[in-house]
Amino acid sequence: MRYIFKFPDIGEGLEEGTIVEWHVEKGQSVKMGDSLVTMETDKVVTAIPSPRDGIIAAKFGKVGETIHVGSALVEIDMAGVEGEAAVAEASKAESVEEEGAGVVGTLEVAGNSAVLSASKEGVDTSSIKLSDKPKRVLATPVARALAKESGIDINQVKGTGPAGRVTKEDIVRFASDTTTSPTSTGTNSRIVSDEKLVEMEPLSQIRKTIAKNMIQSKHNAAHMTVFEEVEISELDKVRKRYKERYANDDVKLTYLAFIIKATALSLKKYRALNAEMDMEKGVMIYKKYYNIGIAIDTPKGLVVPVIRDADKISIKEIAKEIQILSDKAKDGKLTLNDMKDGTFSITSYGSIGGLFAVPVINYPQAGILGIGRINKKPIVKNDQVVPGLVLPLSLSVDHRIADGGETARFINTIMDYLEDPVSLIME
Amino acid sequence: MFNNYNPINNIEFQILDHNGKIVAKDMLPSIKDADLLKAYKDMLFARTADLQIVSYQRQGRIYTYPPNYGQEAISGAVGSLIKDNDWLVPAFREMGAMLAKGVTLKELFLYFMGYEDGSKYSKAKRTLPISVPIASQFLHAAGLGYAIKYSKDKDLVYAFVGDGGTSEGDFHEAINFAGVWKIPVIFIIQNNQYGISTPTKMQTASQNLAIKSIAYGVKGIKVDGNDYFAMYKTLQESIKICESGEGPVLIEAVTYRKGAHTTSDDPSKYRTKEEEELWDTKDPLKRLKSYLISKKLWTDKEEEKIIEQYKVEVDRQFIEAENYGPYPKEDIFKYMYAEMPDDLKEQEKEYERFLEWKASRTK
Repeated sequence: MRYIFKFPDIGEGLEEGTIVEWHVEKGQSVKMGDSLVTMETDKVVTAIPSPRDGIIAAKFGKVGETIHVGSALVEIDMAGVEGEAAVAEASKAESVEEEGAGVVGTLEVAGNSAVLSASKEGVDTSSIKLSDKPKRVLATPVARALAKESGIDINQVKGTGPAGRVTKEDIVRFASDTTTSPTSTGTNSRIVSDEKLVEMEPLSQIRKTIAKNMIQSKHNAAHMTVFEEVEISELDKVRKRYKERYANDDVKLTYLAFIIKATALSLKKYRALNAEMDMEKGVMIYKKYYNIGIAIDTPKGLVVPVIRDADKISIKEIAKEIQILSDKAKDGKLTLNDMKDGTFSITSYGSIGGLFAVPVINYPQAGILGIGRINKKPIVKNDQVVPGLVLPLSLSVDHRIADGGETARFINTIMDYLEDPVSLIME
Repeated sequence: MFNNYNPINNIEFQILDHNGKIVAKDMLPSIKDADLLKAYKDMLFARTADLQIVSYQRQGRIYTYPPNYGQEAISGAVGSLIKDNDWLVPAFREMGAMLAKGVTLKELFLYFMGYEDGSKYSKAKRTLPISVPIASQFLHAAGLGYAIKYSKDKDLVYAFVGDGGTSEGDFHEAINFAGVWKIPVIFIIQNNQYGISTPTKMQTASQNLAIKSIAYGVKGIKVDGNDYFAMYKTLQESIKICESGEGPVLIEAVTYRKGAHTTSDDPSKYRTKEEEELWDTKDPLKRLKSYLISKKLWTDKEEEKIIEQYKVEVDRQFIEAENYGPYPKEDIFKYMYAEMPDDLKEQEKEYERFLEWKASRTK
């Protein structure tokens, strides 16, 4: 008798998990409690043990693939359980699910449909899912229209809305799954067959989040970028003077601390740059708090923790905060709290390399300031060529929110502050 | 003894050290070999069950669960000394003490599967249900203690809280009240170093948790909670104090939660491997086991064998709980009010919609 084990909600309200490692092979016999697979979820990374004794008849999903809560993980041929006994065995799990369903939200365990007749052995799952679908699926009108437009058979799409309704998101997901999945037939088959020539690595949760955010930003915001150069010899002097003094307090005073302050003060003058647009509701949200996200490069990927109330705290405090956040980022200890509620972002790629770049907005924020590599070069001052210390700036804004004039005035203000650092403490 | 270990000096009372050696021979309580062996086996059973439950949870067969792993000696010592007529007032990490009172694993399973019946103990007398609202149970314990004194009975109350619970107002109110009325309650703080992810040093500015007893004018002591003997001895003394009308007592039992806060928590986010390894050397069962082996009372072989038996027993009771059958939806909504108020009716409808939606998703 066949038992389908569906990925349970192991963390109070999980939606999905990523396969980190399989511990069993098809045909292998397992005992209840043996590890089947290690899953990475939003809450924990953990081994999932087998709920039954038996032989692994099928595994679903490769390392790196995302499995939704309630989707099949493995099928187990239960040893010595035949016919009605197996149905009882499976409905056991079902009753547990029904009984406590309200306790933790979307928890699901293997249900009634968990038992397949033995004759369906070896049938590929996509067809099993299809045969379970009613002829005309429930779907929202916009989803139907989108499916028609994209040439997708809506009956093949698994709905995740209320009562299994197919939503717009389901169509989008289905479309991207069928075009990008390396396991789909056709164009991409070479990638699979040449596994010796390439190295396949599963997408980590953080890489997926980055990808999602980048696409969302490029898709929704109208990017426009302006480049500038600012001479910062004065700022350099101030920094050098206080650097050693602060070092005694274990605070590393960086240019970034000054730039964050200058940005926060400039945001106060140009509210569009600290705003967010909600097109559905038809409103602009001007924020009266100034939380600056700083992009930090970590071995695992890019993270953007937030310096809160940068307009209110001192440059020294900003420097301290930068240090704490980057240490946490490097140790992978940032919490959701450290990263939320940013109103504007700064990316300082220049500390690694690059003069100018076109930064991607941290959507739904209105802008992001890119800091290039500081370089010594000749500049013209009072009609004389003199050596200067030049900081390149790249400012990307969402052109839906900020117009060109406002954007230019905003970057001018930042530059004024950086050219004359004393002004940073004068207001 | 309480005077020698005044919490203001911040000394931790210990009898059995990390290597299973007796370091305070004069304090060693006299326990019959058979009783000691039983206590160890009970703790081993609780640990076996605890590890199994985490596995059931990962299989999607039980809901959120707070593991006991690493804290067994505290419950174990209480289990050895608590009497049928004494009251047990648990928080939610006292499986050993509950089992000792006669609560069955099956009942605990039902509780964590969301059944109200999981708090209806068929065999355990005077055992309150698991209390999730942090520290609220200390008030219940104070009430019970007052009732005992009022009725001139001789029984005791054993109440548990975690280190995080000491920051709650209820903690203060309960001990303050208990101190004023000199009631027979043994308040036990399981200081397992973390309130979810908050380390004890961020929980309080006090030097330790036992020191809080001084302000309430009650006896307090800081004990190595991973040392069965030290816990046992401390409880023996506490019982004497309470019986002579000089209670209550506040015990800080220092231990370490080797598992996660609950199955929804990932402790690697807030504590280091080094720290976990250090505490592993202080494990309560390892210690008592080395002692038992040195006394020729126990062998590795016996342990292996008995764990296998325990696993079968845990599974058996789990399957029984799994087959308990559904409970009527009304049980959740109907019995608080004679007439259901609108917001509750709305909740019931929402729950029905949720069940429908969920049924459609599992198809």
